[in-house]
Parts: sequence; structure tokens; C-alpha cells
Amino acid sequence: MRATAWEHYGSAPMVRMNTLVYATCFADAASSSELSLAYVKLIEQLAVFKGYSAAFCALKLAEEKFPSSTNSQIHLLKMQLLHERALHRGHLRIAQQICDEFGVLSSSVSGVDIELKTEASLRRARTLLAAKQFSQAAAVANSLFTTCYKYNMQVENASVLLLLAEIHRKSDNAVLGLPYALASQSFCKSFNLDLLEASATLTLAELWLALGSNHAKRALSLVYQSLPMILGHGGLELRARSQIVLAKCHLTDPEFSVSEDPCAVLDPLNQAAEDLQVLEYHEMAAEVYYLKAMTYNHLGKEYEREEAAARFKEHVTALENPRDEEDSLVY
Amino acid sequence: NLSLFPPVRPPKKTSPKKPPTKQQAAMAEEQMEEASSSAAASGTPFQLQFDKPIPFQIKLAEWNPEKDLLAMVTDDSKVLLHRFNWQRLWTISPGKCITSICWSPDGKIVALGTEDGFVLLHDVENGKMLRSIKSHDVAIICLNWAEDEPLSRTDKEDLLSYEDRTTRFFPPAPVMPRIGGLNSGDTGLADENEEAIQAFSSASCQRFNILCTGDKDGCICFSIFGIFPIGKININKVPIHVQSSGKRTSYRLQDVSISKQVSLSRNLHQLVLLCSGKLINTDNLSLSNDLSVGVHCLHLDTSIFSNRKNELHQVSQQASSIQDLVEVVRASISMMSKQWSNAMNLFHEKFSALPSLLTAHGMESSSEDEFMSLLFGTHTSPALHQFLVSSLGEAGLKRIAKTIESAGRELRIVVSEHLQPAVEIISFRLAELRGLARWRSRFQNIGLDEKLMDGVTERVGMLVVQVERFSRVAATVLYLFQNFLSWVLKCVKILLSEPTDQVPSTNSELVVIFLKFLLDKDPIKQLLETDQIFEWDIDTAKHVEHLVVFGGFTDTKFLERSLAKQFSELEESLKEAFLMPFTTVSSQIHCQGLLPLYPVTSSDALSSTSTPASIAFYKDKDSQHNASSYSSTDYICFKIPDGSLNLRNFVAVIKDFCNSCSTSNTPSLSGFLLHIPVEYECVDLSLYKDNQVVLLLSGKSSSENAGRSWMVMLQTENLSFSQFSRTFPANYYNLQELEALELQLDTDYGKVRSVPHPLSTPLAVSASRGVACI
Repeated sequence: MRATAWEHYGSAPMVRMNTLVYATCFADAASSSELSLAYVKLIEQLAVFKGYSAAFCALKLAEEKFPSSTNSQIHLLKMQLLHERALHRGHLRIAQQICDEFGVLSSSVSGVDIELKTEASLRRARTLLAAKQFSQAAAVANSLFTTCYKYNMQVENASVLLLLAEIHRKSDNAVLGLPYALASQSFCKSFNLDLLEASATLTLAELWLALGSNHAKRALSLVYQSLPMILGHGGLELRARSQIVLAKCHLTDPEFSVSEDPCAVLDPLNQAAEDLQVLEYHEMAAEVYYLKAMTYNHLGKEYEREEAAARFKEHVTALENPRDEEDSLVY
Repeated sequence: NLSLFPPVRPPKKTSPKKPPTKQQAAMAEEQMEEASSSAAASGTPFQLQFDKPIPFQIKLAEWNPEKDLLAMVTDDSKVLLHRFNWQRLWTISPGKCITSICWSPDGKIVALGTEDGFVLLHDVENGKMLRSIKSHDVAIICLNWAEDEPLSRTDKEDLLSYEDRTTRFFPPAPVMPRIGGLNSGDTGLADENEEAIQAFSSASCQRFNILCTGDKDGCICFSIFGIFPIGKININKVPIHVQSSGKRTSYRLQDVSISKQVSLSRNLHQLVLLCSGKLINTDNLSLSNDLSVGVHCLHLDTSIFSNRKNELHQVSQQASSIQDLVEVVRASISMMSKQWSNAMNLFHEKFSALPSLLTAHGMESSSEDEFMSLLFGTHTSPALHQFLVSSLGEAGLKRIAKTIESAGRELRIVVSEHLQPAVEIISFRLAELRGLARWRSRFQNIGLDEKLMDGVTERVGMLVVQVERFSRVAATVLYLFQNFLSWVLKCVKILLSEPTDQVPSTNSELVVIFLKFLLDKDPIKQLLETDQIFEWDIDTAKHVEHLVVFGGFTDTKFLERSLAKQFSELEESLKEAFLMPFTTVSSQIHCQGLLPLYPVTSSDALSSTSTPASIAFYKDKDSQHNASSYSSTDYICFKIPDGSLNLRNFVAVIKDFCNSCSTSNTPSLSGFLLHIPVEYECVDLSLYKDNQVVLLLSGKSSSENAGRSWMVMLQTENLSFSQFSRTFPANYYNLQELEALELQLDTDYGKVRSVPHPLSTPLAVSASRGVACI
């Protein structure tokens, strides 16, 4: 319980520590379902902070340790991880397939298995978003919000609002996204959901940035606000995203000149590239290399520019031609 | 206030009789500003408020910057705190020779520097000691506690404001455990003290401030909030680069002794200090001569404090609370170990009689075997019988049971109320610090190292596991003890043929476990002692290794360590991690400029530290409305010792030393000399608000004016500053270039008042209250 509370409050090291305390000290006394939950938490942490390969490696061990095939928690975790990875790699067909499996898992009676159902539709909305079917994604998210509101699920509420903001941002409707991001932020504030609040702030910064270069200063200050939280407790994806936004803020700021302070842009971009490599997130990695190539172009460093451009192309082709999709189901 | 506490003497009248002994100093408080208009009508500036004989010689005095409080240090190192109406609030005697004193900028803490290098922080409310920090090896000569000026905050910095999340998620931090039970008389006092410490650490973190301490050997230490050390610089080792006629020359000061004055500007940007020492040209050692020993004025660039104040504030806020909590953990562990060893001593004392009885009866079995045979009902040997019935007895047994039970209760309380929450808050705060450390562009240049922080976070995680394990082990051991003791009690009752229905039922399996594992061993003690290796079964060891794949602690041997060992490892890595900011910041404090003031011969080098001097920073008038970029001008005012520079009875005032160091193209350094009338000597001086200088002049004993003194306030703006060059080192000391003015006591330079006593140091002026104490 402590670990879950910290998950919501946003302190990653505390989650890990409390889970480890449980797994170490109470391994002999705990029931297998509780212990497996502890392992699930640890694997989730691994996926978020160390990338998928480490997580799947641990998952295999956990499956050996809890061999009962009916162990729903580990099964769920497996599907979650597979879905995330498919989304990141751009294997949308597989992501869709897993989403459907999720939908089947929950009972068809309404009002039962609410958590599983919200999870399923949240994932469906994200898949649709990745497939750039914005109106459908928004529809799913909207219906999900009403469900969450009905059942008083505040944490989910906040994350659905954030998703809606994200959908509007991606569909180039930054103005429409702003109220959702703000609502999500204030939700998080009242429930002490610090990490989610930081990511809401980050989305807000992205939205401001999308509104034009004269908002770059405001966006930058928002990023600065959320950075201590995100760097300390956010996962690889969130960290990379914040670094990208930071670099973008500098690049769009008309008063900022790259040639004067190239480190301010390149440092965050390099860091983001490093993190995304582990995560196999092609879409964002392509963005990073694009920005890098642009920066090097400004600086007149042609060799580095070509290198970055080549990497950019690599990621884009990987995203557009999802080869070896079957690979996504294997781990 | 005055009406509430009527003065002992009529304030306007001078004291009718001379102070009876030399030990008695006359203290007078004079209202300078507020009363001057009314006093001007009657012709006497500086209205006298109080004139009170006190039975001590006062060594140091300092006004509280916020309230009407005057702290004084007597010659025998007592500290007195008086209100303006002369009501005494408290007196303390720290038992050490106090060499310097200063107030915190909010006026809530008084800092004392001692002869053996300690800084003591005392609460203004009751004089209780909040902290004692050993930062120097030799006497601390001067203290200066400067606060970040709120005006200098810009909008950008406000957006970078950082929230300490700990208070939202945790109840108030645990305090040190105290010994309960027997010595209840002391606990009340200890309790209050702890509360004070707690209040101190929460209140002190509101605004960024830095305490500088300078010692006799030329070391200057900086600590944030007065508690978190952040930098140290040794003047003897600082290279001083001087640009003269295009050539860069390096100098170094040797045998430095810092004089009474160190001053950090209010924007924390620059530090000016006076020190005496020998100036050496490091490029050409032969160039130094006798004249090079003298008093110099140094300007240190401390812009790291102002440029990085947000970062430093955040780090020190977290780090100082972590250090507090580490102390709580240490106290908890030592207390638990004491409690438990007391209980165990009693147990072993009583039960050690058994083996000797066994040998006396010529038996070769161990006490464990004897208890085993008693448990399984084979036989009771006469030795065991004698031990149980006569040497142990029912009463003795009950006493042991009670002692162990109460020790166990204490252990439980300490773990649940002090140790466990403290460790948890430490880990939370460390996690926050780790997050900050990842923000490399902002925090790396103040030395917050990501790798070190990772290491510390790992260590504290292990400590949390250890604490959990300890509480489990303790609970098991206590239950086994309880079970065993009640079984023994039952046996005693059976042997004495008494009814056993009062004795709670016991589990004989657990008795066996007790006899096997606890009769000779003491796992609680093992966990509480650093040098013990704790054995842990193979299953768990495997389990821990297995967890590494899942992101567990990579150091799989940590369960073999004892709790205390783990704690000391955490302390070590914490020390290492916090040393990093300390060294990084220290290396970024540079010497910006040097101005030789006057030479001293080695014989009076010692006395030069006590020569009156004062340094102050005044905000530039024209930049006051421009909040984001105000600058300040430094004023240095000092008495030139007689004979030095062939001057007698002179006081020098210099301004704009810092600016002249940083911008070499505009030589703005200027000043003037002031000649004191020959029949008087300057006893003490101080800079006062709005660029005034306050001088205390005392009549020389040889002259007819012996016994008469003057207090003079000069408006420096009315006096003509003349520029002088810093061509260096053509002639070391340029002060003679300055225009010398004659001070005439009867003219309108400023305010003058005669005092009908001989005067001595100290002079304490308070800019916020407009009062002086002589």
C-alpha cells in the first residue's frame, strides 16, 4: 500500500524502496498474490527506468517463480508492457490486438471490473492517438472520462484529462487542449499527485509552445517548474519528453541564439536521445535527431549534422515500415 | 517601555559618583536618531536614555537587527541579553572563551564564536543552545551573517521557486528519543530543547542566508543558515593576481590573521575583509621586505552564492534536514543499544550462576542441556534445582521478566516513533536531492553529484530494509524471551510445589528454539553493534540475489551487515556526497583584489587585530528603485595605529574598493584621512546607516581632558573624498596620498556629544533602532 501511495504521490525511489522492503523482509510470510504484486511493481519500475529488455528479462523470471498460469497480475503486466512497447516501436496492429485482448479480459457486466475496463479503453484511446485517428481517440477518451467521473476515480480522471489535452495537441488544436491540461493540473494539485501534475505542466508547456514563438518564455518557465519533479521521479519517456520540450523552448525563443549557447540545446537533446534509445521509442527519437540536425546545421557542423540526419532517417523508416512485427509479441 | 520600567537613575543626569572599581564599566545607551531633533533644541545631540553601572567588563556587544535587544559578552565570557529598557532577559555562561558574536539576520539566533573554533548558535527566546558546530581549529575572530536581499529577486527566480514536498507527505519529523522512566526530572528540560531544535530547523529555512566565520589563522568558512557548511577558504593559500601596467603579478599572503572585520555584501556578491599578514611576491620571493608585513584589505568574489542561491538554498534545505535526521537515527540506535544491554546484563548476571553451580556439582553438561532435560521431564539435576529455587528464585525471575519487557517496550517505541520515521524521511529527502542532482545544467556546478547521490539513495534503501528486519528480529526475540521466562517461572513453581494456574501457558517448541538460539547469543545486540557480522540463512541470501534482476540492491551482502554498520556506511557516503558541494563551492571563491592599508611591525602585529575597524555596504542611491540590478558600495573605516605610515591619531575612511577591483578602467577608489585632535584618542568606531561614521574619542590620560570623552557622528558625504591610485606594488601603501582633514569637535561636521567618563570598547550601534551602546 505504501508503495502504491508513493506511486501516486510521485516519488519513484520510495516506490522501489518500499517494494524491496516488502520483497526482502516479508518474502517468507506474504501470500503469493501479494508477493507477485510486489514483483509486478518492481518490473514496472524496471520498464519505466531501465527499458523493456530489462523488464522482460525480469518478467520471465517472475513467471517461473509464480508458475500458475492463472496469475492474472503477471499476465496483465505482460500485456501492458507488450502494448507499451508496440506503441513505442510503432507496431500499431499489434497494439490494437493487445487492446482487444484487454477488452476481453474484463467481465461484460457493467459496473464490474471497472479498473480493468478503464485501463482497456485508456489503452485503446492511446492506440488510436498513435494511429492519428484523433476524433475517434477523443470520443473514446470522452466516454472514459464520464465513466471515471461516475465512479469517482480521481487519479484516472486526471490522467484522462491529460490524455485529452494530448490528443488536442497532436491534432494541432492547442487552444482546445489548454483547458484540459489546466483542469488536469488542478485535479492533480488537489489530490497531491505530484508526478502527474508535473507531466500536466509539461503538456501545458508544449501547448503554449504550439501557440507560437512569443509564448516560448512562458513555456520555458513551466518546464523549469516541472523539471525537478520529472528528473527525480519521472520515467525515461517523460524525462526525454521534458528534455525535448526544453530544447524546443530554446530553439523557438526568438531572443535565444544557438551559436551563443549551443550546450543549452544540445545537452538536453543528447540526454533525450540516450534515454529514448533504451526505450526504443522511434517517433520521439526521430524528433530528437531532427532537432539535433537542425541545430548542427545552424552551427555549421556538417559532419555531425549528417550523422544526426542519418539517425533521423533510420528511426523514421523503422516507424513507417514496421518490420518483424511478430517480434513484438516475443520477449 | 520607559514608563513601564523606570530607569534606576534619572536618564538625563550624569552618574553622581565614579564607578567604584575598574571592573565596573558604565554602560550608556543613547538614542541617536529619533531623539536628535528634540535634543537639538536643547543643544545636545544623542539623547541619553540610560546610564547604568554594571559589575562586569564588557568585551563585545551587538544589537539585534530586528528587536530592541542588546547581547553582550563579558570578559569572563558570560553572555547577557538585555532589552532596551535594561530588563535582563537571560544570562548564559557557555564555559568557553567567546571571541566573537553576531546576530542572525532575522534576529532569532545569536551566534557566538569561541576560542577553540566552535560556533555556538543560541536561541534568542531563552538562550538555549541550538547548535554547536566545530568549523575551525583556532579562535574565531569574526562572524558575519548576511541575508539575501529580497529586493534582488527577479521574476525569473520566483518561477524557479522550489517546494519542499516533505511537509505535505509526512508528519512532523521525529525528534531524538530520550531516556524515559528513571530520570524523569531531566526529561522536561530535554524536551523543550528538542522542540527548540525542531523549531529552529523549520524556521531557519525560509530565507537564504550565509554565516561567514573567520579565524585567527586566516581561514574563512561559509555556512548556509549557519548550519550547513558550504565553503571554506584559506587566505594563506589564495593566490592574489594583480594587474599592474599590463603585467600580471601573483602574490600570496603569509601568516594571515583576520582582523575583527569580515563583511559579506547584502546581495552575497562580494566579501571584504581586513587581515594582517606578510605579502609575498610568488614570482620573485626576494622582493619582500619588512614593510610587506601589514594590514591589508582583501576583496573576495563570492558571486557563486548570489548566482546560485536558489540551487544552494534547495540543496542546503534538504541536506540540513537530512543531517538532523541522521542525528536522530544515531541517537535512537545508541539508546536502543543502551536499553537492551542493560536488560541483558541483568539476565546474564542472573543466569551465569548456573554454569558455575554445574561445575561445583561436578557435572559436565551445559546449561542448555540441563534446561532441555528439564523441559522433556527426564530429570532435574540438583544443580539446576538449586539454581532455580535458591539463586534465581521467583522474585528474581519476575524482575528479569519485567526488565526485559520494559526494555522491549522501549525498543518498540524507539523504532516506531523515532528510527523508522526518521529513516523514511531521510530516504524521501534523498530521493528529492537525487532528482535535483539529475538536473545537471543547474546543479552540477554547485557540486551536487548524481553518482554520489545514487549511491547514498541505495544505502538508505538498505537501511530501511535493515530497520524493518531489526524490528522483526526484536519482536521475535522478545516473544521468545517472554515465553522462556514464563516457562522457567512455571518450573520454579512446580519445584516449590506451588499452584501454577497464575502462570500463562507456554509453548515448549519455542522454549527449545530459545535454548538453541538465544541462551548464549544475542541477535539484537549483534544488530546494534558495528563490528558484528550477522548470519543470515541461505534461503534469504538467494532470494536477495534473485531480486537484483528485478532492480533490487546490487550489493547482495547487505543483510550480513548489522544495522549499526549499515548506518555508519550511510553516514560515510552522505559525508562524501555533501563534501562535493563544499569543495566545489570553495574552489569558486576567488580573490579579486588586495589593498595594502598600513604596515605593522611584527611586535604590534598581535594588537593589530584589535584595532578598531568597520566595514559596511551601502546600497547605491541611484539604483535603489531598480530592484533587479542594484549595486552596493563598500565603506571601510579603520584607525591607523600610531606610528604606522608616520601618522599619529588618524582614522581613515575608504570607499568603493570592490568596484575598483572588478572594473579596472574606472579607478573609483577614494577616501580621506581624519586627524583626531591630539589630546584625544579614538577608542572605537563604527559605520552607521546612511554612510555615517560614529567615533568614540577618549581623552588621553596625560592631557587635561582625561576623563572626558566624545561621541561623534560624521556624515561622510559632507567630507571630501579624494581619489587615490592602486598602482601596486611601486609603493605598497598609498594611504598618505589621501587628503587629511582635521576633526574639530566644535564645528558642524556632524553631531558631537561629550561624555563625562573615560570610554573603552566596545561601541555598538544599531541602524534599525537608531541607538548606540557605549
